[in-house]
Amino acid sequence: MAERAEPAIPTRSSWSLLGVLRRIVAMPLHDPFAFTGLVIYVLFALVALFADQLAPADPLEILFTKTGKLAANVAPGAEFLLGTTNLGRDIYGELVHGTRSALAVGLSAAIIVAIVGTVVGLVAGYFGGTTDAILMRIADMALSLPFLPFVIVLTGFLGASTSNIVLAVALLLWPNSARVIRSQVLTLRERAYVEAARVTGASQWRILFVHIAPNILPLSFVYAAIAIGWAIITEASVSFLGFGDSTSVSWGMMLQDAFSSQALSRGQYAWFVPPGLCIILVVVAGFFISRGYEEVFMPRLRGR
Amino acid sequence: MILEVDDLQIHYSTRAGPSGSGVVRAVDGASFAVPEGRIVGLVGESGCGKTTAVRAIMGVLAENGRRAGGRVVFKQQALDEAATKKLLWRDIAYVPQSAMSSLDPVYTVGAQLVEVLTKRGNATGRAARARAVELFDLVGLSENRLRDYPHQFSGGMRQRAAIAIALALEPSLLLADEPVTALDVIVQRQILDMLRELQQRLRLSIVLVTHDISVVAYLCDDVVVMYAGQVIESGPVRDVLARPRHPYTMGLRNAFPDLLSDALELVPISGSPPDLADPPPGCRFAPRCPFALAACTTGTVAIASGSDRTHRSACLRDGEADQLRKAALDPETWLRSSSFATS
Amino acid sequence: MRLVVERFAHNALALLAVTTILFFMFRLMPGTPLAAYINENLNADQQQAVLEQFGLDKPMWQQYFIYLGNLAQGELGLSFFQRRPVLTILLEVLPNSLILTLVSLIIAYAFGVLAGAWLAWKRGSWIERVAVPAVLATRAAPEFWIGMVLLALLSFNAGWFPSGGASSPGMAYTNAFQRMASWDYLHHLALPVLTLALYLQGLPLLLMRSNMLEVMHEEFVTMARMKGFSEWRIVIRHAARNALLPVVTAFALGVGLSMGGNVVVETVFSWPGIGRLLVQAVSVLDYPLAQGAFLMIALVLAVMNFVADLLYMVLDPRVSHGRKS
Repeated sequence: MAERAEPAIPTRSSWSLLGVLRRIVAMPLHDPFAFTGLVIYVLFALVALFADQLAPADPLEILFTKTGKLAANVAPGAEFLLGTTNLGRDIYGELVHGTRSALAVGLSAAIIVAIVGTVVGLVAGYFGGTTDAILMRIADMALSLPFLPFVIVLTGFLGASTSNIVLAVALLLWPNSARVIRSQVLTLRERAYVEAARVTGASQWRILFVHIAPNILPLSFVYAAIAIGWAIITEASVSFLGFGDSTSVSWGMMLQDAFSSQALSRGQYAWFVPPGLCIILVVVAGFFISRGYEEVFMPRLRGR
Repeated sequence: MILEVDDLQIHYSTRAGPSGSGVVRAVDGASFAVPEGRIVGLVGESGCGKTTAVRAIMGVLAENGRRAGGRVVFKQQALDEAATKKLLWRDIAYVPQSAMSSLDPVYTVGAQLVEVLTKRGNATGRAARARAVELFDLVGLSENRLRDYPHQFSGGMRQRAAIAIALALEPSLLLADEPVTALDVIVQRQILDMLRELQQRLRLSIVLVTHDISVVAYLCDDVVVMYAGQVIESGPVRDVLARPRHPYTMGLRNAFPDLLSDALELVPISGSPPDLADPPPGCRFAPRCPFALAACTTGTVAIASGSDRTHRSACLRDGEADQLRKAALDPETWLRSSSFATS
Repeated sequence: MRLVVERFAHNALALLAVTTILFFMFRLMPGTPLAAYINENLNADQQQAVLEQFGLDKPMWQQYFIYLGNLAQGELGLSFFQRRPVLTILLEVLPNSLILTLVSLIIAYAFGVLAGAWLAWKRGSWIERVAVPAVLATRAAPEFWIGMVLLALLSFNAGWFPSGGASSPGMAYTNAFQRMASWDYLHHLALPVLTLALYLQGLPLLLMRSNMLEVMHEEFVTMARMKGFSEWRIVIRHAARNALLPVVTAFALGVGLSMGGNVVVETVFSWPGIGRLLVQAVSVLDYPLAQGAFLMIALVLAVMNFVADLLYMVLDPRVSHGRKS
């Protein structure tokens, strides 16, 4: 492989925040995988934004045929692109509107995970000592909880709302990013330029946020991109198990609906295949993007 | 001659960089010979192609590297890929720089020694184990160490183990790549002494790759000096180090503490080696050479024998070598950058 | 040996932490703390008995130690709906879950390791360019959706496999072992196993591939090449053996993790396992049963974490054999 002959990242000096942001934005342009991921994200974002234009009708509306009968289990065609459900709802409309809840769940979980993971990782890694020990024990605890059962118990008993699902996902996912960021901070802390900042009398917090934080920002992005996927899959799983927010249309609800109303035995593939493919696409996009950041910013981390 | 390397060319392809071509000529027309029963030092700065050259002889280049030309002849037999495969370890063995990373961490050292004896040699289980004990004894390791894993060895012991593995099939030629670089000075000397003793006892020929000219002075019979992928001077150690004829060798000698005499002040050669993706025309040392003339930066300079035939050098001002050598002893000389450095 | 004790203590502590979190989670649920244990359907005497058993009339910290004491004895209370001891119900379904998980994992890891090593071998080829994104897609697919598609295709459409459950109606067996060794059971097991294996193979495959790529550049592999060993010996005995280390650890961890993830697959296939039990218990608010199922999953997770640590020690002499002076 030619890429081995090239030095990975030369000994980094402190990157300015702006410089890092510019590299984060520019990265997908250099990596075909990440670029594909970004295109998928943008497409779904556009669908979510223009959902009302793409599928003007209320997705929960019950449809009737021209003869006034319930339009149940209509096969895909010109009138209903993906057919209708057994209750006469437009599957295409549900799919389009489901994009909104998927992205809402994914993005909100990703933001929480990135912020909490980054701050905890920075503080634990930089200050070390008791702070570090306590934070990492909490992280260990969160990691030893079985993921999906925990989310189910939490949403099952606390109430089936989207925010509870996001909360549960965030509670369980932050430790991964915090741990990796912490270990990165541990090495950054010893770098010459941090030493230099210390000698010139910069305050602890200034060193932490001005000199160290920008360097680990790409890692936060990696974990945010992964968290988007995890949150969407988890929401879908929880909805599928019947603990979802029944007032909103989501891909998971669609799958649960299809499963419980025998769409499988009727062979209504147009009902349950598209939501699954949408989930795969969004999650894969996250993988692609995180992979791209890892290759560009921290090739050492690959395969861990 | 047990080994002859003739006009060897090793190219690495890289992603096209600012320098363009995308081909790094790590070894660019290197020629040298190893007489039977002698220790030849292959010396030069890091990146001069010395390691690449010996690895090419062993047939293991990185995936982006290839032998683009030249001949390697071992005992009158030209080596192509198939011939190399047959000779490997049985006739030509290798002692790595870092025995830590070159031993498989999940097997005991004894198992790795036995593996060579049984899979490449003809030994069967019991005979192989007996031979392993013998080999450990030969390099001064206790036989109960055979059951230990590489990480349980100290640096010096690992290097001894690596030498034992190299000697397992009684090769006639040993290629040793910086075999003592990672060790402290006392252990270095022990290993070098051991290599000398083994070489005499087993009538080995050794190519010793090193950046350390004092190691060459201590151990080697002959020396080959490489610079930027080419051989610029070669000959018996006594001649080359006492009366270097190439300015680079003169500078190299100044840059290392002398094992034989009280060192003068150490003087580094200023500047750095050229980019091998886009080497300068003419003598590649010219940009750093305090004695360079305008003529040095055009054409090529062939390596040529002096009056005594065995001592060869590739310098346009070879005729003035004696005067240049005197000037080179003065540290002031090396502070002046070459007048052609920027041209 | 010190290391073994250390890892055991670490995992035991983690399990203790999980039980503690669970204790407070169930106490802090909406409704009275009593609701977590006392079913309105019980008569006054039964209610009183449960109250005493779990010390629900005592302060919180005393309740906590009573709870731990009960746990240590396997006393998990009575299921609200089944009116049977929670532990009995759990032990009934646990084997089903373990079998499903282990069989899927073995298939997934055997396939993943081989395919991963093969893909590393094929690096730079078009196969790799197609296979890696495809494998990523299987990792990105929700497990239950894979199950739904397989169910629709192979069960409802092709009719090759039963659509759910662990045995056909009317089948009677003298004991659990006979039931599980029967053709009927295996026939029911096939689709859930295929689903889970399809989902699980991605991790070992990608891990093995990247490990192989890394190990192939290690100096000791180059040395093996210099020694003139056969390509097969270099790849299998030296590269793969080293690349396998993290994969084996991932396997042990996978048992625990996928036990947690099984809930959806077990639900799709109505597989009578611990995950489906948890879902049912939560959906009917059967607190004792839900708590018990959750703890059982956490226990498996902790045990498997410990097994993973042990395996690593066995396989990596750098961990098991200390440095000699």
